Amino acid sequence: MGKLAEYAFVAGTLSTLLALVGYVFYALSGVRAARMAAAGVPMSTGGMGTVGFTSGPRTTSIGHYATLLGWLGLIVLGASLVFRTIATGHGPFSNMYEFSIAFAFGILGAYYWFERKYHQRVLGLLALPVALALLGYAATVPASIEPLVPALQNNMLLTVHVATAIVAYGSFTIAFAAALLYLVQPEGGRWGLPKPELLDEIAYRAIVVGFPFLTLTVVLGALWANVAWGTYWSWDPKETASLVTWLLYGAYLHARVVRGWRGNKAAILLLAGFGATLLTYFGNLFFGGLHSYAGLG
Amino acid sequence: MAHTTRTRELAAGAVPTPAAPGRVLSADSALDRLWHLLTSMKLALVLILALAALSLVGTLLMQMPAGVADDPQARATWLAGVRPKYGGWTDVMDRLQFFTMFTSAWLRGLGALLAASLVACTVQRIPGTWRTMRRPHVAVGPAFFEHAPQHEAMTFHGAPDEVLPAVRGVFSRHHYRTLVEDDGTVHLYFDRNRWAPWAGLVAHVSIVVILAGAMVGSMFGFRDSNFMLAEGSTSAIPSKAGATITLNSFQDTYSPSNGAPLDYVSDVTVKRDGQVVAQQQVRVNQPLQFENVTFYQSFFGPAADVTAKDAAGNTLFSGGVPLAWTSDNGGNKVGTFALPGQNLTAWVVATTGVDDPSVKPGQVGIELYKADTGAAVVQQSIDQGAPTTVDGLTFTFDRESKYTGLSIASDPGAPLVWLGCLLLVLGFVVRLYVPYRRIWGRMVTRPDGGTSVSIAAVGRRDSGFDAEFTSLVTDIRQAATGPAGS
Ligand code: HEM
Repeated sequence: MGKLAEYAFVAGTLSTLLALVGYVFYALSGVRAARMAAAGVPMSTGGMGTVGFTSGPRTTSIGHYATLLGWLGLIVLGASLVFRTIATGHGPFSNMYEFSIAFAFGILGAYYWFERKYHQRVLGLLALPVALALLGYAATVPASIEPLVPALQNNMLLTVHVATAIVAYGSFTIAFAAALLYLVQPEGGRWGLPKPELLDEIAYRAIVVGFPFLTLTVVLGALWANVAWGTYWSWDPKETASLVTWLLYGAYLHARVVRGWRGNKAAILLLAGFGATLLTYFGNLFFGGLHSYAGLG
Repeated sequence: MAHTTRTRELAAGAVPTPAAPGRVLSADSALDRLWHLLTSMKLALVLILALAALSLVGTLLMQMPAGVADDPQARATWLAGVRPKYGGWTDVMDRLQFFTMFTSAWLRGLGALLAASLVACTVQRIPGTWRTMRRPHVAVGPAFFEHAPQHEAMTFHGAPDEVLPAVRGVFSRHHYRTLVEDDGTVHLYFDRNRWAPWAGLVAHVSIVVILAGAMVGSMFGFRDSNFMLAEGSTSAIPSKAGATITLNSFQDTYSPSNGAPLDYVSDVTVKRDGQVVAQQQVRVNQPLQFENVTFYQSFFGPAADVTAKDAAGNTLFSGGVPLAWTSDNGGNKVGTFALPGQNLTAWVVATTGVDDPSVKPGQVGIELYKADTGAAVVQQSIDQGAPTTVDGLTFTFDRESKYTGLSIASDPGAPLVWLGCLLLVLGFVVRLYVPYRRIWGRMVTRPDGGTSVSIAAVGRRDSGFDAEFTSLVTDIRQAATGPAGS
């Protein structure tokens, strides 16, 4: 099972990589089509009225293949997590290898959730590299299966803790991608990218999905700490980093309804929030503390 | 005071009424101002961001461990330790309480302000939330139906009393309730999940509940992270008169592959007035609960079983001594116990295998100090199992054993914290996942006897709501032009 998990990890990574290549070609083809349309060459628009680019039939079919490959990556990585769970007897929470794959899986899952709803493949152009970076990172850390240190022997609670964390982090990655696209465009939109209003809505939806999950993640973390260490909160850097993340996204939800904070400032808060998410995630590498895992060396 | 709620303003399409101008500055208006400040979303936003910024600083800078901050000497040592890292900034940051960020005046002050703001916001929002749920503003002017973000005008052949049931039917199939007011014009109001806004209030209040729980815990709770007990020893339980805890045995197991600890277990018995009230294996993730006190497995180490008798043969001490400290030269494990009536403190020194000529494996060193002055009296190594006279007293090193380090905590604020957490999660889940919808309608009889129906809403830019609105319009068209309308 352990071997199977590794093969699935490699296959899922390759599939995601190919999907990303597909998205790049999709974008290039879309830009070309847009330029031709601007030059007066007659074009048929793609099936979906909501697709960001003015897309010809070729663009549309490239997009379809890219999406298929990405879904394949999502499913195979999911399988890898399942195999790994069977092999280790616990959820993917015991080291950075397991958690990085879970995080990447969460990003792909969140991305395809939003692609199905909004059909904005340009977001994939930003979200997939983040997932791939995590998968690449996972490839560099030890994947060996070690027994759990006593503190981590709380299978049920920690599995749910990680599951809620990856839903939250996955959605935050989508919000990050949307906020980035929002900020690079001048008012009114440009380059055939999704309209700023649509990006604003996607980012908001992503935070609406992710924020309660982050809240639940922090609460479950406190529950675990209370059972294992006797305090629900000890200002451990991992805890304080998650507090920063939670506060920033809470601030974002307010910013959207405060005059003078909508738009650019809210989008910048999303970038900051994603920065805090990464700090929380990689925190164990340089903070130490209660969360320092056995697998880190 | 003019505290029109946001939703009412929007519903009426009116501008907020400004506070009465030209009032003389009085205590009353100062309070008014404070109230306005505390209930302002802008202040909330700034507070949240300031808290985030300070917490970030506290996350990135090293923080003094608990206990160090209050001990001037330990504090100086700690600061000297981080000086190479932070250089000339060390003292500035120390002055600014950046190394004790999470207990700093900054964080406490901002936290108190946030709590005040949360309470003020909630109190302010309750009446409006109640009103919009029970008696919402149904009649709105015609301009609203032309300028609202979502709006649609429809005309039907049927008279209003034929069209209205059809419209009602559509909304009720979409899980909306319908309110009607008739003042010549028929005003309609539809809402869905009208109780959902309370969830937002609950979530905000629950943050205050959590903060309150944390405060109760720090004021009335206690915590001892350093409760040590050697195998076979019994100790009184703090704050529990007549209650004792005994460590029957301690076991630690390690992974054969990488030597990482797999499990450590303290087998303990709790007695009250001599009666056994609890017996349990305490391990990480498996604490022992005794009334309101909880015992957590925390750390462990070697111990030495020692007996001390005076010249007359009376036992002064007998039991396990946790060797929980390290000698100054770093090579030895040391522990201490008191000798009642002797004005002496005894230290037990065991070698950890590092080359130390004074204590050999199989021996422990006994060092005696004056209890009052701390002056050294004598130092001698004794063999295991052999009663040895040291300074007129007889010491026996019976055997090696182990000690367990437990954390004891009693936190009366914890139930509040967990209640707050539950409400926080439920509140945000409902607030953010359950769609709360409000739509206004207006029906007028046309000169030809038909009916025009306008509906409009102020939903945020949200394609989900746009789609719902469109589907409502389609369904109304279909229903009202059906048998009744045509
Ligand atoms: C750590 C503190 C806080 C957190 C985490 C927080 C979080 C949130 C969240 C998640 C929402 C939902 C936003 C939405 O539905 O789009 C919200 C809404 C709201 N918050 Fe807070 N909040 C905090 C403090 C405050 C304070 C101090 C105030 C008082 C001024 C406040 C006033 C409001 C109001 C009026 C809304 C409703 C906005 C709307 O309906 O769109 N919040 N808050």
